[in-house]
Amino acid sequence: MTTLYNVARYHLVDRITYVALPWGIMTLSFLVNLVIAAQVAPDVNSHYTGGLLSIYVFLLICGAISMTRSLPFALMLGVSRRSYYLGTALLVVALGGVYGFALAVLQVIERASDGWGVDMHFFRIPGILDGPWYVTWLTSFVLLVLFFLYGMWYGLVYRRWSLPGLVAFIAAQILVVLAVVVAISMTDSWPAFADFFSSGTASVLTAVLAVISLAMGVGGFATLRKVTI
Amino acid sequence: MIPMISATALSRRYRDQVALEDISLAVQPETVTGLLGRNGAGKTTLMRIITGQEFPTAGTIRVFGEPPAENDAVLRRTVFVREEQSYPDFRVAEALRVASWFYPNWSEELAQHLLADFGLPPRRRIRKLSRGMRSVVGIVIGLAARAELTLFDEPYAGLDAVARQQFYDQLLTDLAEQPRTVLLSTHLIDEMADLLKHVVILDRGRVVVDAPADDVRGTAVTVNGPATAVEEFVAGRAVWQRRQLGSRASVTIPGPLDLAAQARARTMRLSLEPLSLQQLLVHASGISADEEVSA
Repeated sequence: MTTLYNVARYHLVDRITYVALPWGIMTLSFLVNLVIAAQVAPDVNSHYTGGLLSIYVFLLICGAISMTRSLPFALMLGVSRRSYYLGTALLVVALGGVYGFALAVLQVIERASDGWGVDMHFFRIPGILDGPWYVTWLTSFVLLVLFFLYGMWYGLVYRRWSLPGLVAFIAAQILVVLAVVVAISMTDSWPAFADFFSSGTASVLTAVLAVISLAMGVGGFATLRKVTI
Repeated sequence: MIPMISATALSRRYRDQVALEDISLAVQPETVTGLLGRNGAGKTTLMRIITGQEFPTAGTIRVFGEPPAENDAVLRRTVFVREEQSYPDFRVAEALRVASWFYPNWSEELAQHLLADFGLPPRRRIRKLSRGMRSVVGIVIGLAARAELTLFDEPYAGLDAVARQQFYDQLLTDLAEQPRTVLLSTHLIDEMADLLKHVVILDRGRVVVDAPADDVRGTAVTVNGPATAVEEFVAGRAVWQRRQLGSRASVTIPGPLDLAAQARARTMRLSLEPLSLQQLLVHASGISADEEVSA
């Protein structure tokens, strides 16, 4: 357990990557959207942005970095791959919890201030992040963990099989999505599929995302076991 | 005493080449073992297998009596400083601080002493250091960790002769204070010869010599003198190498020579020279010193 904790704080030594950059980029995106929302006539339409995605995408990058640039030094210091993965996962859970809570608080403020005074929906995303604060916290947490673990998997695939592996990995994912789409079409299940997500609450969606996160974690862990540096 | 490291019939093959072939050896606790060999002899591969970073294709490896791969109990007592070790985007002091978390025996005092001694600026980012100074980061961590098993894989890339001597001195001083097992791969053999208690020479993935350093030094002797006398002296002995320059000859024969033979050489006015580790490696690697010189 001490080793896992040490691995987690080993990553956090690089606070620029794991703290300053995700929040800095999201703040920048927020400010840009705020200025734009203030310029366009606010009384016509609510202003929706996709700017929140920046923090998730940046966590994906953090995940990839954690499994590529930072791995060799940890192995030098006698950390096993398993401990390295689990310690990093511990960091993900901690970051996801704290960052998810911050996002939930920001959403509460956004709602209370009528969209920062300009009817902007930055921290509220219809259908997924627009429930009560605790559901938003949970969903944000799961999404942040999902993106980070997904990034870790990318990093590991690159570490193990370099560029050809990365291309194959992406191609395999496209094939999986394609297979799902074809399967739904063949069985005429699109209405059922739509019902499942539209009638389901945010919690149902969160549960689905949690299952996907778990799959990402298992996949990454399996890839790591034979990674050499 | 159980060996610190023991390998049995260890092999590692890659698709188109053999990195290690049927390696068996044992490293005793609290010794400094030199892992010698030419480039591509398998030194790094062996060290990577010992630290669980690489997996053998056949055979077994035991470290502290256990398989090292993914074994925290073994790995946390180990530090492995690689040639051209890569680091995250850290400052020197940050890398040292992180390393100190992982080693219960970490000596901050030694780390600070080494930093000052090598002139390593703690606030500097590692990626901005010169090659030699980056090697020093690995050396400082490897020594200050005071891990029970310390592996250095040619840790001196880009270091000048003075800094290398500092490294050898510091290693010896600290080993006297805190004995531990060191496995050190190098091709600067004669520089390090005095440090080594035990020598393992690898050639194309095989162990060709595995012996205490003192024994290895007496493994072969070069006899120098007038050609006729030299030939008379070595008659009936196996000859490893023969060189002649005019009327003088220089012949290398397996040693060690007993007292009678040494006395005989003296009366025949022949000089005897033990083969240095470096020359021995050249010989063991199947290349005659002549070829090496003319190459």
